[in-house]
Amino acid sequence: MYSAAVQDLIDELGRLPGIGPKSAQRIAFHLLRLSPEDALRLARTIAVVKERVSWCRRCFNIAEVPEGTNSAEEAPECEICRDPRRDPSVVCVVEEPRDVIAVEKTREYRGRYHVLQGAISPIDGIGPDKLRIRELLARLDPEGIKEVILCTNPNIEGDATALYLASLLKALPVKVTRIASGLPVGGDLEYADELTLGRALEGRRELGD
Amino acid sequence: MHLEHLWLTDFRSYAEAEFQPAPLGITVVTGANGEGKTNLIEAVGYLATLRSLRGSPAEAMVRDGAETGFAVVRCDGRRDGRRVVIEAELHATGRDRVQVGGQLLRRSRDLLGAFQVTVFSPDDLALVKGGPQSRREYLDDLLVALHPRHDATISEVERVLKQRNALLKSAFGSQGGSGGRAGRSGREIPEDVVVTLDVWDAKLAAAGEDLVRARASLADALGPGAVETYRRLSVGVAHRGRDAVSLTYRKSWEGTLLDALQRSRSEDLRRGVTSVGPHRDELDLAVGGLPARTHCSQGEQRSLALTLRLAGHQLVTDRIGSSPILLLDDVFSELDQVRSEALLTCLPFGQALVTTAGDLPDGADVQARFRVEDGKLLS
Repeated sequence: MYSAAVQDLIDELGRLPGIGPKSAQRIAFHLLRLSPEDALRLARTIAVVKERVSWCRRCFNIAEVPEGTNSAEEAPECEICRDPRRDPSVVCVVEEPRDVIAVEKTREYRGRYHVLQGAISPIDGIGPDKLRIRELLARLDPEGIKEVILCTNPNIEGDATALYLASLLKALPVKVTRIASGLPVGGDLEYADELTLGRALEGRRELGD
Repeated sequence: MHLEHLWLTDFRSYAEAEFQPAPLGITVVTGANGEGKTNLIEAVGYLATLRSLRGSPAEAMVRDGAETGFAVVRCDGRRDGRRVVIEAELHATGRDRVQVGGQLLRRSRDLLGAFQVTVFSPDDLALVKGGPQSRREYLDDLLVALHPRHDATISEVERVLKQRNALLKSAFGSQGGSGGRAGRSGREIPEDVVVTLDVWDAKLAAAGEDLVRARASLADALGPGAVETYRRLSVGVAHRGRDAVSLTYRKSWEGTLLDALQRSRSEDLRRGVTSVGPHRDELDLAVGGLPARTHCSQGEQRSLALTLRLAGHQLVTDRIGSSPILLLDDVFSELDQVRSEALLTCLPFGQALVTTAGDLPDGADVQARFRVEDGKLLS
């Protein structure tokens, strides 16, 4: 129906997550209407990202090769791992790079991260070997890690992953903690669902000194 | 609780329909087979459970040729003297949208418990005659009606089971895939699988024990009501001494679930399924000390199925202090005269919506009548 080039564009866009055939078509026509500079800028941005960005060799977060250095050779370190002000003895284990951003936004955490790049889910064929678990274990000793904070999602797969890691780390001389789950701050008890409220009650703490 | 007004748009056979049942007593809906009587019951049921009573997907509930691509079920009802307005959009594809009192629900699960129904259908016989699955579902539905929080427990158990079974299957695959080694008896399970299985076992044990405790105490709570109801239903029917009903929850394991899962692990790995847990339990039904499934007549089994529904209804009424709406879908066609009349006298006080292709038994206290014809609801 369309010329080959346009159809190729639509097909490529349609492969992106959350983009159906209709949206792919709409975006393609938008791109066709763009000025050459705008379109090329988008193309260049994608190319640059693929060239400069990869997984951090230490924590598997997103990492960018600093400008002006030669990319290719070795996987770079991410900004957080490079930051000397971060406490190297604490590592926060998360599922995805976007979880790093979420924790960073709190500005409460000063340690480093380890991104598993997923959670254990046999249904999807994801076992421990598909996650960056071996790499986590290899970090403990050389970096002098004293505490591992399990910060996977509080759902079935995230909990299972945390339990799995806890059983692996049990034998090692590190402190293992799991983030608390419970009520959103500023919320109302009456709007909390039973499961969350139940967990919050389970994890209650004594007040005062 | 009761329904005052129901509006349907593009729901099943109805392009537009409006329904105003009597607030108390029986409202009967008549019509030939295939006219859409059950669709009406299904719509009311959907507002209570957010599921089709027949287990149909949402797309099946959207009328063929609906221009908008979705069906709307709206109701105006009362519960404990307060007005309850629920509006649900059922989309053929994509998520349903549910509003309660004009507020959009973030999770449709939050609706559970706002409105409750007790459904009687001709398929209820499967509760007694069918496999254990139907009896577990009976208990689980009641659990959710009594404590909406158990909805999360039930879905957690289901999800963890799926994950555990997927792991068992993949572990089996990796064993079988190694060619010659598969035939040897010394079965070597990779260390990785062992530790991962431990994790799923722990999660299944925690959620499973929780669910099973709730189911067992529910079965106990249903007992006295069931005995009483079965006696009343079988007046003039049952033989003497053969009218004592018992409900017993039977676990598929001994001791703790965690231990049982560990014990059955090698067997589970061989078969690729989880052989113990809440999904293998049974609700034993007996009449006069004999198992109902094998020792009761068809008529006794029908009485027992009605008993289970009525006892559940009574328990919900007592516990939450408000009587669910009774939905009786074409039930009388399956019952003989004596049982039909017995059921009518047993029907609790409250709102009852009854569909029938024929006549209701004598003595039915009908408050309102509707007729379904050519996809239209006529009063």
